[in-house]
Amino acid sequence: MRLLASLALQNLGRRRARSLLLIAAVAIGSSVVFTGATLMRSIDDSMAVGFTRLGADMMVVPEGALTNITAALLTVEPTDLVLDADALDKAHLASVGRAAPQKVVRAEHSGVGSHHDLVDLIGFDPVRDFTVQPWLKEKLNRGLRAGDVILGAGRDAPLGSQLLIFGKPHIVYGKLGRTGVGTHERGVFMSFETLAALAGSMPQQGGARPAVLAPGKVTGFLVELAPGATTLQARFAVLSAVKGAKVVTGDSSLSGIRQGLAALLQGILALMILMFASMAVMVSVLFSAIVTERRGELGLLKAIGARRSQMVGMMVAEAVIATGVGGVLGVTLGVLVMRLYERSLVYYLENIGVPFVWLDLSRTVAVAAAAIVLASAIGALGALYPAWRASGRDAYDLVRGEG
Amino acid sequence: MLACRQLSKRYLTERGVVAAVAGIDLDVPVGRFAAIIGRSGSGKSTLMAMIGGLSRPSAGTVAVGGTDVWGLSENALAAFRNEKIGYVFQFASLLPTLRLIDNVALPAMLGGRRASAETYTRAAGLLERMGLGGYLEAYPSEISAGEQRRAAIARALINDPALLLADEPTSDLDEQTEIEIMDELLAVNREIGTTLILVTHNLALAEQAEQIVHIANGAIV
Repeated sequence: MRLLASLALQNLGRRRARSLLLIAAVAIGSSVVFTGATLMRSIDDSMAVGFTRLGADMMVVPEGALTNITAALLTVEPTDLVLDADALDKAHLASVGRAAPQKVVRAEHSGVGSHHDLVDLIGFDPVRDFTVQPWLKEKLNRGLRAGDVILGAGRDAPLGSQLLIFGKPHIVYGKLGRTGVGTHERGVFMSFETLAALAGSMPQQGGARPAVLAPGKVTGFLVELAPGATTLQARFAVLSAVKGAKVVTGDSSLSGIRQGLAALLQGILALMILMFASMAVMVSVLFSAIVTERRGELGLLKAIGARRSQMVGMMVAEAVIATGVGGVLGVTLGVLVMRLYERSLVYYLENIGVPFVWLDLSRTVAVAAAAIVLASAIGALGALYPAWRASGRDAYDLVRGEG
Repeated sequence: MLACRQLSKRYLTERGVVAAVAGIDLDVPVGRFAAIIGRSGSGKSTLMAMIGGLSRPSAGTVAVGGTDVWGLSENALAAFRNEKIGYVFQFASLLPTLRLIDNVALPAMLGGRRASAETYTRAAGLLERMGLGGYLEAYPSEISAGEQRRAAIARALINDPALLLADEPTSDLDEQTEIEIMDELLAVNREIGTTLILVTHNLALAEQAEQIVHIANGAIV
């Protein structure tokens, strides 16, 4: 009822200082819950990306290839050195579960991006791939075909649109989600078949095309270990079976960091639960006091015919408005806090080679909405019991300030 | 109109059980003006609260227009208070955050039996009748105690109650205002025919009533 809702609002305005303190307390609590939940999910996602090496446990590349281990992300870097595409298949290594070959060509003047933009054209075998296609965030409603390309999250073009690469038309088949990995963010992915068809259009550099474009050659393999196999077993098996190869497994110290972060996340979760519980208790205690203070008003309402549900509804509405506003302010505060995180924690993580992937907008909005609903629910629950108890008293006792 | 039978109210205190009202039988016919008189603590306000559905009796029955008030369910009792009873308290009883017009309209809005526009028209008419036509938009803190009491009478009348209960409505007012308030209550009783029960310890006021009930120590004497 509009009049009761207006009464609830006016009651909040009547005790402005108290209402503001309540809103501030709920805002701080909601901010912790929102920031904690968003960072937890973001760190969790980042760890999933950073520590699972995009699905690969290790990378097999030519011996002389430059690798950036500190990046901790196993993506094949462009190089002039190549491996035979069937090198791992022929070795029949028990410790290797799956191996996804990739060809990477770093090209200039491709027509993609700005004129001097270096673009990584990444060829993969759609059948054996397990590191690219799982990251498809959106795609055309059909399978990948020759002439199709998949764009990293850092590139923008509508699905199904035409993309000219070295003057040849390609169809944008899909886009990858954000991985935080440079090559994935900026890369243009395509099947071996599509990359091979492009080879003829590429300008020759120093009189020859990149060696990796030759049939039967790859830049490297992303390898998933067989169940039960260890990285060490696989490393020795690969090195003894494939001549001229080296194995990259990333920085082992990251395991320690991962465990540390996992413990940190559990700590954040525990703090969030404590904060939530203390906020609920505080709101309940506060509304017990508010109800006690307003016994006369409640008694009067009851005396003029307010139903119990109307009285409880008014008190709960008052609490929900206050805590809901607190929730909205808390989310706003949380966004500001996360800006600070962006400058400190994110910088730190990226420095040690872990890319930080923020939650996408829709999930962030969902977490924000959940934080606001949670704050409002705390208000509703906190006010419900004292209001229900008071509304059950005799109107006469309430009017006289008893009960 | 009103029939109380063996109506009792006992309180448990640190000194044992105290009987505020002890086995009262009372009948007030339709349209009558009855005054309940007695000293402070005699039990007259408690009796009034039980009649008005505000305080559950320890024993006995209250029937208003044939309805057993305390036999009603919680929601039915709320509806009964809303529709059948108009209550004027002995203190300023307006909600401070609502304008006078909202305060007067509130019981009708709670009951939801009339459209909002119709309710507000009626509320404005009642405030006019009480001489408060110029204060429709005012808040209670902006008017005098006597004007607040008149607004409370207007609120009590918004739903055309069958029974108007006034519990020492002039206790803290000056003599002139007291006379004005009593004139308003008597006019309601005589012109509209609403049954009026007035609690007072002022014998001069009680003498205007058609029926006087004298209470001492929780019993009619």
